[in-house]
Amino acid sequence: MRSVKEKRPAGQKQYYRRKKVCKFCVERIDTINYKDVKLLSQFVPERAKIMPRRISGVCSHHQRLLNDAIKKARNIALLPFATE
Amino acid sequence: MRNYEIMFIVNPNATEEEMDKINGQVESIVTSGGGKIEKIEKMGKRRLAYDVDKHREGFYVLFVISANGDIIKECERRLRVMDAVIKYMTVRTDDEVRRLEKMRNFRQKRAARRGSGTSAASAQSAEEAMQ
Repeated sequence: MRSVKEKRPAGQKQYYRRKKVCKFCVERIDTINYKDVKLLSQFVPERAKIMPRRISGVCSHHQRLLNDAIKKARNIALLPFATE
Repeated sequence: MRNYEIMFIVNPNATEEEMDKINGQVESIVTSGGGKIEKIEKMGKRRLAYDVDKHREGFYVLFVISANGDIIKECERRLRVMDAVIKYMTVRTDDEVRRLEKMRNFRQKRAARRGSGTSAASAQSAEEAMQ
């Protein structure tokens, strides 16, 4: 991180953001099952909302699958719709 | 014939016998209609993510079947009527399976096209490139 900082010309804003990668692409997961609560709960923070892509870094294809899976899991009370 | 998963939640106060009775009923509906049961899984007692009819827990049961739409309709009607069943859901899975197959074929083809060597070696190199 330090080395990146020093390379930048003075006066320019110093941002260093790690490149986010889609967890599902990296691990080559093709299907996201609604029964896999352990996996899905990684993508629902404590308010039980679905984590946006810009934060989790999931690619659009897998985000869509994830969306479906989470919504199915909610329907059968494996995941909450909302928390008080 | 299509593949479905029926998942339902039984009242936590139900006895083992009642559970078996419900399972038997669903089974008979499927088999009598010409469907096939691939798997019955009792997932056991779990905490529900939210209250359902004032219950905080429930027995989860999963049926993996291949059947027609009529059978599913009948199953759902029966499940709705049963008092011990507090929630049910049916999911169609054959789309998913087909999609998976397509993807796997595509991947294989790509691997074959890329590497003049064996497909296993090229797949490995592709994986290394990813990292």
